[in-house]
Amino acid sequence: MFDCYDLFDEVQLFYVMKWEIRLHGRGGQGVVTASKIIAEAAFAEGYQSQSIPFFGAERRGSPVTAFTRISEHEIRERSQIYHPDYLLILDPLVMRTVDVFQGLKSGGGVVISSPSAIERDVFPNIELTVGLVDGVGVSIRNDLVVAGNPVVNIPAIGAFLRIFPEISIECVEKIVLEKFGNRSVRALYSSYDETEVFRIRGSREKKKEERKKPEKVWIPASKPAKGVAGITGYWRDFRPVIDYGRCTGCLNCWIHCPEGSISRKNGDVEIDYTFCKGCLVCLAVCPRKAISSEREVSA
Amino acid sequence: MKELLLTGNQAVAHAVRNSGVEVVSAYPITPSTPVVEEIAKMVERGEMNAKLILVESEHSAMSACIGASLGGVRAFTATSSHGLAYMHEMLHYAVNARTPVVMAVANRAIGPGWNIWADLSDSMSQRDVGWIQLYCESNQEIYDSIAMAYRVAEHEDVILPVMVCYDGFVLSHTSMPVKPDDLREFTGEYEPLWKVDFENPETHGNILPPDYFMELRYEICRSHAAALKIMERVEREFYETFSRRTPLIFESYRLDDADVAIVTAGAISSEAKIAVDSLREKGVRAGLLRIRCFRPLPSHRIVQALRDVERVYVFDRSVSVGSEGQIFQELRSAFYGFQSSPEICGYVVGLGGRDVTSEIFENAVTGRINSEWVMEVVV
Ligand code: SF4
Ligand code: SF4
Repeated sequence: MFDCYDLFDEVQLFYVMKWEIRLHGRGGQGVVTASKIIAEAAFAEGYQSQSIPFFGAERRGSPVTAFTRISEHEIRERSQIYHPDYLLILDPLVMRTVDVFQGLKSGGGVVISSPSAIERDVFPNIELTVGLVDGVGVSIRNDLVVAGNPVVNIPAIGAFLRIFPEISIECVEKIVLEKFGNRSVRALYSSYDETEVFRIRGSREKKKEERKKPEKVWIPASKPAKGVAGITGYWRDFRPVIDYGRCTGCLNCWIHCPEGSISRKNGDVEIDYTFCKGCLVCLAVCPRKAISSEREVSA
Repeated sequence: MKELLLTGNQAVAHAVRNSGVEVVSAYPITPSTPVVEEIAKMVERGEMNAKLILVESEHSAMSACIGASLGGVRAFTATSSHGLAYMHEMLHYAVNARTPVVMAVANRAIGPGWNIWADLSDSMSQRDVGWIQLYCESNQEIYDSIAMAYRVAEHEDVILPVMVCYDGFVLSHTSMPVKPDDLREFTGEYEPLWKVDFENPETHGNILPPDYFMELRYEICRSHAAALKIMERVEREFYETFSRRTPLIFESYRLDDADVAIVTAGAISSEAKIAVDSLREKGVRAGLLRIRCFRPLPSHRIVQALRDVERVYVFDRSVSVGSEGQIFQELRSAFYGFQSSPEICGYVVGLGGRDVTSEIFENAVTGRINSEWVMEVVV
């Protein structure tokens, strides 16, 4: 008898187009939303698609990952993506704490949102197409700073469309317009235009993966200690700066800082930039407007 | 020690006092209410040096016990039926936070179809939360179980909560002779492996991401396995101390040369013993395996004990709706993969306090009951 499943398998092997995209960023940057927009646009283009968020600790600034799958056929995977065809890196600082290139396929594409060029030794030793854009810059220029956070997901999508021709920018435009309005559409187009696309073969050799085996876990308890969540200072886009001429030492910022990175020293408050994650809560609560913000460019 | 005539609930209260419990928190529910009433009197009379925390719900009662246990003291609560169901979330918490709380559960059906009478649905519904579960047959056994429960719960290889279950009214409100031995030395001082320490602060119950969570659950399962070994030890020590054999894992009654075996848990087991004796008189070589510890399930030991019988009759005073009686299910799966498995049949009996007499067991074994649900009270 004619076995349609065998035939289907063969058809899949040879003809099914399928792309897996992994997105890296930090809480508050719209990583999950970007994954959703790409999936929706692909769906509108007639593909099957899937957007999977992976949430860590619900904490502004902590590393976040999301996944998008696009295929011509039903997508059966429910797991995370380990061998992506494309990477979207919404924040270059994430590269310091997360091995973002892990499992990336040779010949794949990478979008990086960064204000400065990325050294060759950052990329792995495989053929890659890179789309580089200063997402934060695009966002600031298009007035897309929400609650102190420049929206970098829309610029990253704009850059992605330059290296992923299966989705048209008009299709994304419709979705972005409906969800976020005109300013976002402008940011989408300016990032599309500004993105620098180039091919590169990186020089970073693959690190041997040592999967850390967790110790015996007896009780869900932890000791509070400085820096147990890592160097949260790497998460910062903006640096809060105290103007001591205006500061009265009221301690309002000290009590509100979610990271405990403001300390009291000889009657003065002081910010520990190793751990200040740049959320700018202190700026918002200072009654004397003694705190201003400066963009971090030390990516 | 002089024997006293105590109800099951009183036996619990005496055992709690005599085991050196320091914090009791509870909310009243029939039929376990008298446990806490009794304890309240003991505290008031100054016989018991414990803090009694009365709360607005069972959920809070369990929470208070967890807090007390994390604070490094021996904690206790008692409940039944809806109260136990209401605790469900915190039952999980007590396990994952590794708090060796001991709880008395006077088993009662769950409504509506408002019913205050005995069946094991309440504790059986909690079989997967990770509490160690002991089922009792007599008030003496209830008394002994409380002390033994603390020994098992607090053992450094276990550190898990234990519920001591006994049929509501059938045991909870029925008085029987109980020897109220002094348990203080047997239970000893509680020495927690960890506790909330203000000098050395820690976060308890913090986030545990996917990289760690399975390890936490794995250790809990390993501790359950270890608990069986500890129970053997505690059984032995209990006998050496009080010269009384109180089984912790299961009891074999006339099982050595048996052709047919009855398997039960709880108060109905005592009726089953009458049936075994009566069947033996009539020439049927019957025996009983009475499950004391349902979680962890002593599968291997049960298979060993029942390997040579031809037929096994399992009686559940509860049912997993959509499936069968819980003990029946688990017994069959314990035998899975063994070449020489006895024939196993299961009966649901005594729900919502319907009386269970020895004749039911006898009739099942002699083939006079054809339904898996035994509805009539055979007398
Ligand atoms: S110092 Fe200000 S910006 Fe930095 S973490 Fe604290 S509140 Fe946020
Ligand atoms: S809130 Fe403003 S004025 Fe008050 S201590 Fe902080 S910086 Fe100074």
